Amino acid sequence: MSAIAYFLESEGLQTTGISLVRENTEALRPPRFLWTTFPLGRPMGTPGDAPFQRRVILAALDLLNRKSGPVLEDYPEDAPTVEIEDYPACPVSFARPSADVSTWDARLRNELLQMKPWYDLSRHRRGRTTVGVAKAPIDELAPRLAKLVDQGSLEGLDFKPLKYALEDLKAYYREALTAQPGTYDFAEIERTLWDETELGRAMRALDDLFAADPRLAQARRIIASRAARND
Amino acid sequence: MVRLVDLPEYEREHLLSKNMEPLGPTPWVDLDRPLSERKVALITTAGLHFRDDEGFEFADASYRVIPGDLEGDELVMSHSSVNFDRTGFQDDINVVFPIDRFRELAAEGLVGSLATQHFSFMGAGLQPAMYEASVRKLAGLLIKDAVDTVFLTPV
Repeated sequence: MSAIAYFLESEGLQTTGISLVRENTEALRPPRFLWTTFPLGRPMGTPGDAPFQRRVILAALDLLNRKSGPVLEDYPEDAPTVEIEDYPACPVSFARPSADVSTWDARLRNELLQMKPWYDLSRHRRGRTTVGVAKAPIDELAPRLAKLVDQGSLEGLDFKPLKYALEDLKAYYREALTAQPGTYDFAEIERTLWDETELGRAMRALDDLFAADPRLAQARRIIASRAARND
Repeated sequence: MVRLVDLPEYEREHLLSKNMEPLGPTPWVDLDRPLSERKVALITTAGLHFRDDEGFEFADASYRVIPGDLEGDELVMSHSSVNFDRTGFQDDINVVFPIDRFRELAAEGLVGSLATQHFSFMGAGLQPAMYEASVRKLAGLLIKDAVDTVFLTPV
């Protein structure tokens, strides 16, 4: 972000914007940024709160009036936090089905069937979905992951389709897990995804396969966050 | 939340490892016209694009075009990093790409007008200097569109 500001401004465009990691912005010394304490992934602070977002934007736009820089100003408001007892309970029952559960492929297929009604509800409630990066139906994506973890090796790895499949699968699950109206705690959603679902367990198994190959160490970041890996 | 002192040590160390040297002396543009007479473009590094667009690669300095008349619901995200909260984006595109807020500001006359096209990068995995060629090319497109001001959002 700072680099983009640097190059745009050096081409004659005036820039301002949001910084989420003050130390990174401070080091690169771009022209103007407003540092906020908001979580990574939420540069406008909070979804669905237009007045809050507007205040943040106006504060960043105000930096355009400064006569010298670099300017790195601290925004005074924190994003609203969620009390743990306030957010809706996870709607999905993860009771094991009676169907075939002998392979990752079977377990993921079964779980997707459990997720589907909640995903559909989310799509109806939100009027949108963020699934669609892989340009393939969701039930064709799980096998890309299952194949690798079932065989216990990365033989035949096709990196880019796998990356897009993981993005869509995670988005599908997160939308299903937050299908009901309400405000959610991201850490709790992630804990459910990684600790309670077959998808989470399969992705951990995939992460182990990547970790065992030094050439793929960097690529682990398409699978699990540092928080999910806890390393 | 992103006060480093509040984060686990592994996360703090990772983020601090991203501190880079400045690319050069800080450039500075001083425009003497008010915001109400300016044309503003939005640029995000959230890896947003349309479903039919090519997704972003693992490390990728290219950009995707977001037409100014888009319906926000059409965008998806193919960012390589998994170390951020995507649930806000699921609920409201404006938490990442505040197009509706800027439309409101333009309708009220606080902002003169909005760009014909906005743009999206995927900010992960590359040194800052690797973005130079594509951003300088993009600057030419923005200037051709009479944009003079850019609002930047990370993810």
